[in-house]
Amino acid sequence: MTLPTTTIPGGAASTTPRRSTDNSRRAALPTSRRSDRHRWGTTVLLMLGALTVILPFYVTISMAFKTGEQAVEGEAFALPAPFSVEGFSTAWALTDFPRAFTISILITLATVIGTILLSAMASYAISRNWEKKAYRWAFYYLLAAMFLPFPVLALSQVKLTGMVELANPLGVALLHIMFQISFSTLLFTAFLRSLPAELEESARMDGASTAGAFWRIVFPLMAPMSATVGIFAFLKSWNDFMMPSLIIADPSLQTLPVIQEIFQTQFSNNYHVSFASYLMAMAPAIIAYVISQRWVLSGLTQGAVK
Amino acid sequence: MTTATTPPRTAEAPTGVSPRSRPAPRRRPRTDRVYLWFLLPTLVLFTLSITMPAAMGIFYSFTDSVGFGEFNFVGLNNYLVMFSDPAILSSYGFTIGVALCTVILVNVVALTLAIGLTSKIRAKTALRTIFVMPMVVSGIIIAFVFQFIFANTVPATAQALQLGVLEESILADPDLAWISIVLVTAWQAVPQAMLIYIAGLMTVPRDVYEASAIDGASAWKQLRSITLPLISGFVLINVIIGFKDFLGTYEIIVGLTDGGPGTSTRSVAMTIFSGFDNGDYAYQMANSTIFFLITLTIALIQLRLTRGNARI
Amino acid sequence: MQDFNQQASGVRAVHDTSSGLSAGFARGNPPDLGCLNYNYEIVRFQERGAFSDLADLAGEARIAPSIQDLIDQYPTYPGRTSVIPYSMMAAAVLYNEEIFAEHDLSIPTTYSEFLEVCGALEDAGVTPIYSTYADPWTVAQGLVDYSVGGRLDVAEFFEQLRAQGADAGPDAPVSFSRTLREPLEQMLEIAAFSQPGAASRGYGDGNVGFARGDAAMYLQGPWALGEIATINPDARIGIFPLPMTEDPEDLKVRVNLDLALWVPEASNAQEPARELLRYLITPEIADAYNQDNLAFGVREDAPAVQDARLQDLQGFVDRAAFYQGVSQAIPRTIPFENYAQGIVTGQSLEATLRTLDEDWARLARRSETEA
Repeated sequence: MTLPTTTIPGGAASTTPRRSTDNSRRAALPTSRRSDRHRWGTTVLLMLGALTVILPFYVTISMAFKTGEQAVEGEAFALPAPFSVEGFSTAWALTDFPRAFTISILITLATVIGTILLSAMASYAISRNWEKKAYRWAFYYLLAAMFLPFPVLALSQVKLTGMVELANPLGVALLHIMFQISFSTLLFTAFLRSLPAELEESARMDGASTAGAFWRIVFPLMAPMSATVGIFAFLKSWNDFMMPSLIIADPSLQTLPVIQEIFQTQFSNNYHVSFASYLMAMAPAIIAYVISQRWVLSGLTQGAVK
Repeated sequence: MTTATTPPRTAEAPTGVSPRSRPAPRRRPRTDRVYLWFLLPTLVLFTLSITMPAAMGIFYSFTDSVGFGEFNFVGLNNYLVMFSDPAILSSYGFTIGVALCTVILVNVVALTLAIGLTSKIRAKTALRTIFVMPMVVSGIIIAFVFQFIFANTVPATAQALQLGVLEESILADPDLAWISIVLVTAWQAVPQAMLIYIAGLMTVPRDVYEASAIDGASAWKQLRSITLPLISGFVLINVIIGFKDFLGTYEIIVGLTDGGPGTSTRSVAMTIFSGFDNGDYAYQMANSTIFFLITLTIALIQLRLTRGNARI
Repeated sequence: MQDFNQQASGVRAVHDTSSGLSAGFARGNPPDLGCLNYNYEIVRFQERGAFSDLADLAGEARIAPSIQDLIDQYPTYPGRTSVIPYSMMAAAVLYNEEIFAEHDLSIPTTYSEFLEVCGALEDAGVTPIYSTYADPWTVAQGLVDYSVGGRLDVAEFFEQLRAQGADAGPDAPVSFSRTLREPLEQMLEIAAFSQPGAASRGYGDGNVGFARGDAAMYLQGPWALGEIATINPDARIGIFPLPMTEDPEDLKVRVNLDLALWVPEASNAQEPARELLRYLITPEIADAYNQDNLAFGVREDAPAVQDARLQDLQGFVDRAAFYQGVSQAIPRTIPFENYAQGIVTGQSLEATLRTLDEDWARLARRSETEA
């Protein structure tokens, strides 16, 4: 775990400010206030803390690679012996992994793209017309959904999506987008306010239309915030359980997290199979995160700051 | 970026926006329509998929609908029955209690981690990457994994160590099962709060600490009298966002206890969802409406408090 | 069941205990032909006339009267045959024949004999019963249903309870508090013979534990037999009804209509659905299905079960010495399974029954004011 990462400046999120404030943070900590040395005590404590985070992942991995006989003993910490991938092949077939995976990916992609486009456009319209009452009201209207928890709407949405033939992944993607709109619009409008208007003005001088100025100048400038909005939309959509489980009528079109339920009911004693399946369901997001963690962390921090 | 903007304040927003759109009044008639087209699809879809179901739910809460077929109006009957239904009342008690405990736990842990992670430590990136990891995994799956840990691993380990107390799974104890829900919910919710705190800690100027260090203030005193007041806005945001999220807790409970043992861990969301299968559609719509009003009240308190706290 | 859907071109048939059923009705597109476990969830639809009349097909199905009774024990839609039974499962106590033989135990036929068997096993260091309290349904369908069904006439109890309407309650002449208390006290005596840590064991654990011989008895239905056989193909399992009285003549088994067929009014493929239903109830198809699924046929002339383990129960089924579990007659809006779990994990029996009575009365009041 002790990768030589300390040379990477200031961790992942928004590099420059972190760098400068890092030194000040030291002062808030118990140990030697003045030295420039690393704080080993804190590091060790944090690493112990990190174990609590890693523990469930370790359990998942170690259970997943066991044989059926070993898994049934329920010894979470014992390493797999012998090492077996039988759990994976069984889980792959039981959950019809490729299909569930594809459906989850499609819903997530649609949600990410839809959320970014719709809320970016709406935010642009709102922030450039802030002096007009109608647009302001539209903003507050969209924001109101932030306080509307899904359970409150769920049953009625089930009814409605059924009526309009949207009791399927497409309907879930649409609803995911709509539940992200509030938060995303909030982020985008805040960002647009900080964007100098001169850029658009000059584009307009050159004869670009409003839409043209938006797509060619403003939208690309919004990229960092789009990344943030996209990451949040991705996490919400990819990991969601409640909505797909309620909205999607055809069990064969269910998403990856929802499919995992079969291990609680039908195959509950095949621990190695269920954990292999959990691992396969978690892995894509974790791998994507670890690969792009710098970028994701800075995106998440931007969202957090709002 | 570091001035956390909760819903833009009306008073402040125009100063940011209007001067820019003002210089070109001649363009307005033409551009307006484009803006409208930018906004309209979202508004329409939003109305259809959020506002309509909300209105529908309120409408049905005054009926006896079971979710399909015919129904009659029953006035406030559902609401009246609800307030004398111990199952509903206890689900509110449970949900609010768990949300409160989780909020406290999450914030204490998240702030501690944030302070640790912003100090000069080894393996900073690796540690930060790990601590954010719970955020990227699905709640239901993590609950399944923890369910296994609580039901098998913890009791087995306790037995091996002769601990006595933990040998019986806490999931099986009606008085303790809620703790598992708090722990797992917190496990997953800490990263987001932690990121907010990290952002908050970066707004604290270093010279404040230097001054107090010269005065010889202890670390704890620094935290209490300098750090906390300076990031109080972030604490508030975390508490309120967290509370709202934890009130809706559902999948962690489904994965861990499924409402049991007995009915000791049934949350409001769970009761509402059972409405369809139980033919309680209208009744649970009344419950939903009340649940919404409670969430809304909390939201309004939030707005009030953050406004009072003008500059976060 | 494979040819089921091959035949079903154009008809959407469902065959599982999908909880999405209610959602299906709410969406306005229920399946065209339902083929599901008959429990109170189905009764709700039946009661409200959501299913079309199948009277003409009911004749062809030639349902045994004792089994037709099972349908009529629940609220039906007047003048209509809403549901046609298809497959019936009989459940009782599964026991490990080897362990019984090893300790020289015979099958108990009275309650005190049963306690003696448990005591003898315990003295010999064998766990008498494997319980899985972590899954509430296993408590409700096993311990609770067997204990109550072995003591009293469940159908009659509910008939009286329903007749009381909104006057029900803990102090009414017929109530859960009065009627179920004794059988459930017996149940707690039985439950005490479970393995330590039962509270954190689920259905899957139970199958593994029982298959490996960790306990001598297991209160589960025939649906568990398949899994048990997969885990330990050599396990020798027998079945006997749980004796709850001192009279060996009182023995009864718990049954449920594992599959019942219905065609929703809202279906727009009524004719093909009925066609498929007609095909399904032909003796060849139905008998083969029931044989494969360790279930009993529902026709008057249905053949006896062939599975050796289930043959012990054939006599009870033939004599109609059976009952539908109390857990199946309580609307799901009352979390009965959770209450059952609460009782065995240490909550007060008296208080739980009182809550149950109050829930029942509240529900009755609600439906009365609404009607």
